[in-house]
Amino acid sequence: MKRRDFLKACTICGAAASLGFSRQAWGVSFEGYPDRMGVLVDLTRCIGCRSCEAACNKEQQLSAPALPFDDLSVFENKRRPTEWAYTVVNRYETKKEGVPVYRKVQCNHCNEPACLTSCLVNAYTKTKEGAVIYNPKVCIGCRACMVACPFSIPGYSYSSAFNPVVKKCIFCYDTRLKYGKPPACVEICPQEVLTFGRLNDLIKVGHERIRQIPGKYIDHIYGEKEMGGTGWIYLSGVPFDQIGFDTTLGNEPIISNVKEFLAFIPMVLAIWPALFSGLHLLSNNGKDHDNSIPHQEGAEP
Amino acid sequence: MNTDRNLLFGGILMIALIITPIDGRSQDIPDSINLDSLVQYYEMVNFDHAKHVGLSKDCAVCHHHTTGTAVESAICIRCHKNSGANAVVSCRGCHAARPFSAETINANRQNPLTYHKDKVGLRGAYHQSCRGCHVQYGAPTGCQDCHSRKKEGDALYDAAKYVRKLR
Amino acid sequence: MKKLKAQDAKIIDSLYKVPGKNKWSLKEKLLLGLTPRQYVSQALRNPLNWLFAIIFAIGLPILAGRFFFGLSWVTESSYDYPWGLFLGFGLFTMVPLSSSGFQLGTAVEIFGRHDLEPIERLALLNGLLGYFFAVCFLLADLGQPWRLPYPMLFSFGPAAVLFLVAWHVAIYLSVQIAEVSESFFEWIGFSMGKRAIRNITLGLTIAGIILSTLHQGALGALFTYAPGKVHPLWYSASYQWLNFFVSSMPAGLCMVIVVSSIVSKTMAWRYDENFIKNLDQLTITLARGAAMCLATYFTIKLISLAHDNKWEYLVSGWGVWYIFEMGAGVLLPLLLFTSAIKNNKVGMIRVTALITIFGVVLNRLNTALITFNWKMAERFTPHWREVVITVTIFTIYIVVYRFILYRLPILYRWKTADENALVPFTE
Repeated sequence: MKRRDFLKACTICGAAASLGFSRQAWGVSFEGYPDRMGVLVDLTRCIGCRSCEAACNKEQQLSAPALPFDDLSVFENKRRPTEWAYTVVNRYETKKEGVPVYRKVQCNHCNEPACLTSCLVNAYTKTKEGAVIYNPKVCIGCRACMVACPFSIPGYSYSSAFNPVVKKCIFCYDTRLKYGKPPACVEICPQEVLTFGRLNDLIKVGHERIRQIPGKYIDHIYGEKEMGGTGWIYLSGVPFDQIGFDTTLGNEPIISNVKEFLAFIPMVLAIWPALFSGLHLLSNNGKDHDNSIPHQEGAEP
Repeated sequence: MNTDRNLLFGGILMIALIITPIDGRSQDIPDSINLDSLVQYYEMVNFDHAKHVGLSKDCAVCHHHTTGTAVESAICIRCHKNSGANAVVSCRGCHAARPFSAETINANRQNPLTYHKDKVGLRGAYHQSCRGCHVQYGAPTGCQDCHSRKKEGDALYDAAKYVRKLR
Repeated sequence: MKKLKAQDAKIIDSLYKVPGKNKWSLKEKLLLGLTPRQYVSQALRNPLNWLFAIIFAIGLPILAGRFFFGLSWVTESSYDYPWGLFLGFGLFTMVPLSSSGFQLGTAVEIFGRHDLEPIERLALLNGLLGYFFAVCFLLADLGQPWRLPYPMLFSFGPAAVLFLVAWHVAIYLSVQIAEVSESFFEWIGFSMGKRAIRNITLGLTIAGIILSTLHQGALGALFTYAPGKVHPLWYSASYQWLNFFVSSMPAGLCMVIVVSSIVSKTMAWRYDENFIKNLDQLTITLARGAAMCLATYFTIKLISLAHDNKWEYLVSGWGVWYIFEMGAGVLLPLLLFTSAIKNNKVGMIRVTALITIFGVVLNRLNTALITFNWKMAERFTPHWREVVITVTIFTIYIVVYRFILYRLPILYRWKTADENALVPFTE
């Protein structure tokens, strides 16, 4: 290999590396679309009637459930969202006066969704209305989003042989949110557990509720900061870890864990060619890889 | 005689005063109210108002201060200490039937004078207030105890005759 | 084959039937110069083929069924464990075991270690087949495998680590095919192709090491998407990718040791003097490399524990399992290698290589499946059809491996009319 080739390789790689544009200067951060909607879930109000599950089932045209939605025996087991149920309600017995607490589970529509950042075909979009929606037309079914979601939300239609896709709550984007209407579960809830509005306003509302009635709520809004902030935020009267919330998640979005490696990639692409070309030159004492020089046979380790 | 006439007038006046309650609500208090503004999955509620008036004795339990009763809550008294009766007393008069429509949300947001930004909607107000009290006093709390389900409701819940082929 | 060799059957090892005159035809080359009857009878005599036949009889219909009936037919359809054996074993395990390609390529072509040449082609083939079948496993696992080209052509999610994995594996497969095609071109007699490859070998090798560094690391970085789900002892926020990259190296080298050991015992009719004469020394050289990588890996795992202060986890049930994996899978082979290298015990090296492979396999399975969702009560359990398909595809891998080793000049040098046996086959 000639010295000229080595220098050429270095220049090209250096140019390639410098093509990367820097999006984030120090001190700049994106706080999310300012008008994004959200839902404040007040778990002190939920009575476990499962109307939200029923409304979601109808709105999203999901298949019939195993048991009717007014059947409360489902609470004997903890459920999770599946390909047939984008939202479920679970019941928790707590020490607080023996009154059960109910918790609605669905996609939290995070500000920096892990599903979106892990998708190699860009199937997820965080709309400016706040919904995290999914495009089934490009999905290859790698299911990395199911691994990445810290709340383990996305379901997958394994039962479909020829068009299995991810199934999750889409904030009723296609049928309602786009048109300025609240999602089906919010509209039907008799106890108004779900308050719909702009997320920034809802966070204020949530803190105000905590302030107005001391002792009624735990002084924390789950989802305000967790995983970089979520669109669906929760108030509870009992500690969150007692009702199935993961309180070990931290306030950084998932992408923060991955950024270190991602940043390293273009450096390898830029540096390795020159590094190994250089090592090659060094190990050959600068001679070209000349075919006429016979190579050593066997032996010396 | 004058004394007999005075006695007669006094007696009539007394009886009139007794049978006429002094707070003047009587002309306006309905005995029963049809709660029908949210009818979709359940039948309308034929609400026995008179019974609940007798049970609660204090209108503020449901109507806040709007009927002119004295404010007792420490939170409300900050502003409503001297608030008297309101022109609007009914639940649906203040609690929006569709609290999360774009119009309601925007109006709520944009009006700088609104204090009660977190005002619950009508359905929420009914259930939190009515059912909340029923839970406390051991009254019926099941959905169909207050309003029976319509066909549309059965279909919604995949229940009764409308159960689809279950998975 | 031993019997045939004893009967003096002429197994093809050159381009020409009679030097300078007529060449072997492709059919003859495929049958190794045997008559069809001879070929079939030797195949039937091999008991391994009977085992393969049984596996295929059961497994191939189920593999086909996976594509007709969908994933629900062959997996537990778990939402909490979306990745099962196809990825946990097929991708995450087979990829580090195939890292021999870039390692030997770099050692020979970049660092000029031409003494490793007799085993270079085996290492390259090992690399190619491992990646190729990793992709086959991926195709079995993807919900919509016909959409595999989508991240290449239609819809890009470049912030995703998987995007990098997809592109790199695609490009790297091409690189490896090119590298192995050198022996293929020799075999079919397309010398122009062979020369073309030799001219770009240096570029291919550098491309290989770039791509390998990144995607071996990227497979580790995939788990940084699920920091709470992988047990803290197997997870490192800062070093996950590095742990996977460094541990891939002893895996690949030990695969070459193990495969070459198997070959040395079972394919005596195929390898030549150059191969077998140098094999012991090469095995020791590879073991040296593996030992250095194991020592490095052990050190960086300790650093990873210290960096995140995870010592307290060692005194749990999972901690015991971790100590077992590191002890039996890393420390033990390291010590055995050191002793064996010092005392020139090639047999011990071969056994230790097998232990090392077990250690790396265990690490990948632990990270992807066994400690995944460690906080949940429900553990990962594969569907029986999933196990059958995994075994079947792995058997196809072995059969293809053997098919190529039987024919292409990997273990022996190809003789052409204008070269005699003593000239090395690299130009």
